[in-house]
Amino acid sequence: MDIRRFAILGTVALGTSLAAFAASAEDVTISVWSLDRDIQPAPNLINEFNKMNTGIKVEYRQIQFDDVVSEAMRAYSTGQAPDIIAVDNPEHALFSSRGAFLDLSDMIAKSSVVKAENYFPGPLASVTWEGKYYGIPKATNTIALYYNKDMFKAKGLDPSKPPQTWDELVEAARKLTDPAANVYGLAFSAKANEEGTFQFLPWAQMAGGGYDHINSEGAVKALDIWKTILDEKLASPDTLTRGQWDSTGTFNSGNAAMAISGPWELDRMIKEAKFDWGVALLPVPEVNAERSSAMGDFNWAIFSNTEHPEEAFKVLEYFVSQDDRMFKDFGQLPARSDIAIPPTGEPKKDAALKVFVEQLKYAKPRGPHPEWPKISKAIQDAIQAALTGQMSSKEALDQAAEKIKAVLG
Amino acid sequence: MKRILASVTDGKGFDIGLVLLPLAFLFIMSGLPLVYNVVMSFQEVDMFSLGSFVRPFVGFKNYVDLFSQPETRPILLNTALFVSSSIAGQFLIGFGLALFFWMNFPGASWLRGLFLVSWVMPGLVVGAIWNWILSGDFGVLNFFLRETGVIEGNIFWRSDPNYSLWAVIIANIWLGTSFNMILLSVGLSGIPKDLYEAAELDGANALQRFFTITLPMMRSTIGAIIALGLIFTLQQFDLFAGITSGGPNNSSNVTQYWAWDLSFRQYDFAKGATISVIMIVFVMLASVVYVRSTRHEVRG
Repeated sequence: MDIRRFAILGTVALGTSLAAFAASAEDVTISVWSLDRDIQPAPNLINEFNKMNTGIKVEYRQIQFDDVVSEAMRAYSTGQAPDIIAVDNPEHALFSSRGAFLDLSDMIAKSSVVKAENYFPGPLASVTWEGKYYGIPKATNTIALYYNKDMFKAKGLDPSKPPQTWDELVEAARKLTDPAANVYGLAFSAKANEEGTFQFLPWAQMAGGGYDHINSEGAVKALDIWKTILDEKLASPDTLTRGQWDSTGTFNSGNAAMAISGPWELDRMIKEAKFDWGVALLPVPEVNAERSSAMGDFNWAIFSNTEHPEEAFKVLEYFVSQDDRMFKDFGQLPARSDIAIPPTGEPKKDAALKVFVEQLKYAKPRGPHPEWPKISKAIQDAIQAALTGQMSSKEALDQAAEKIKAVLG
Repeated sequence: MKRILASVTDGKGFDIGLVLLPLAFLFIMSGLPLVYNVVMSFQEVDMFSLGSFVRPFVGFKNYVDLFSQPETRPILLNTALFVSSSIAGQFLIGFGLALFFWMNFPGASWLRGLFLVSWVMPGLVVGAIWNWILSGDFGVLNFFLRETGVIEGNIFWRSDPNYSLWAVIIANIWLGTSFNMILLSVGLSGIPKDLYEAAELDGANALQRFFTITLPMMRSTIGAIIALGLIFTLQQFDLFAGITSGGPNNSSNVTQYWAWDLSFRQYDFAKGATISVIMIVFVMLASVVYVRSTRHEVRG
């Protein structure tokens, strides 16, 4: 009995002393949380960083998309937060406005690697709160119009002239819709989650609206166009409950002639789509109107209660220094205007990329506002109320504006 | 001292100990979270104050805010419709099947076992599969209805506000029927056969035997199933997440999904807790009804 107890005590003591010894001999440890899987940037870049033996050791933990915010919040409020985290860009302001993220402005000003002017304005705005930078854009994406060139030809449309304006888009959709062949003119998503807002907001912005004046004349017109598309069955009624990935799936299978979605579709489309397709900029309200687009993807940030802000920033600097490989190695678009993305050798993908990079210039962040999810919910509800015919576009957006005003205060 | 010890090892103290142990367990595992939930519904909570207990009290503000929202009434009505239709459907079909298998034809027990497959499937998987079945353009259900001539054009089960709640109800009935059937089968097999023999001798027909023997003998089972059904349908979350996400325009939204959406999508934890409290009240009312209805049962 006694001998056994001593043995256990001894092992425990040995274990703790070993751990203590290991920790003291160890370099500074920086923990990183992101949702990147093994084929995505974060874990790979961290492996490379650790091999360089800089005196900083980086530990990685993968978190699930749905858990990012709640997990991070729980960790932060109990003092267990990692040093570095990747958050979805509309959630960034929630953290920075409450001082949960470190203000990186001074470090960025001194850095020779991270330069604010290298970034697209949209992604940069999403990490900005009250004029200060609380993060670094990790990657970016946006949406544009995919179209089936073979179907354009078959219906007498010019495949080299995709629709430029909303009216042209509706007109093309009318010509392309073919119920007998199970073909809808357009596929997009008006789902009652963030995807619906992501897809609708660019339309409102192109027409002079925005989340803080969502009931402007242009936004109402945009919603009316969406309603026309659904009422005339130019898009599947399931647009209301289908996400972007599933909607674009119907485009790939030849059941929709056009689709609005982002560059994350490219690899699947190249594999699945058995027809010639192209990508065009999002149609605008009228010729020469202001362009706009949605902006997706994640930002890096450092938690304000980190014990090693300098070292954490060094890790971020390393990530940023590898931005030029992002597309080639990991299929993600860097959020930077100063990097020319090298061709991939796949002509359709390269052509599409050019369009997406052009479209990125007009990408606007959602918010930034700390209560973005509530604003977004008001917009989703308005879209759905109008598209199901329960309210007119004007009434629905007026109600949304009322709700958003309550949030904005 | 000795008396107390004796009482604990063999006497009243022992009995009290036996009662206290599960009570303490219940209190820690269910009572505390319940109380915490109620407290939260009177506070202002956001993501940053989640970790602490000291939060500003706002009285009934969360409740007032909740009931002034335009979507609250339709969502409460949806919940009532969802619960009553699901329970009715699950129970009637389940009872029908239980009576059918009770006839004990060759292979009856095998078939009855197979029905349980639907019960062991995870809700999210069931949701994803029904999502495809109910799809408007390419769904199997629409294809079947069209081919049999029931409908002319496709019904957009998930996206038409007139059908979206029914889409989830159909899936939920499918999911819960087998559980009802199994419990009812157990109840049926507990009825002594000689009762039926005696009734038959007295000249009672099948319908009379059902209403005067089967139903009364099954009263406690039926009460238990309805109570369980209420709990299971009020818990049903996966199917909403898998099929409609509560849309379009909240036409298929119910309180349990809404509470989750408010808490974990919009980070309004206080409102989420407020909805949960309202749900607790309904469940308690239902359990009172259940307890009263089975109180006069003679057991053993």
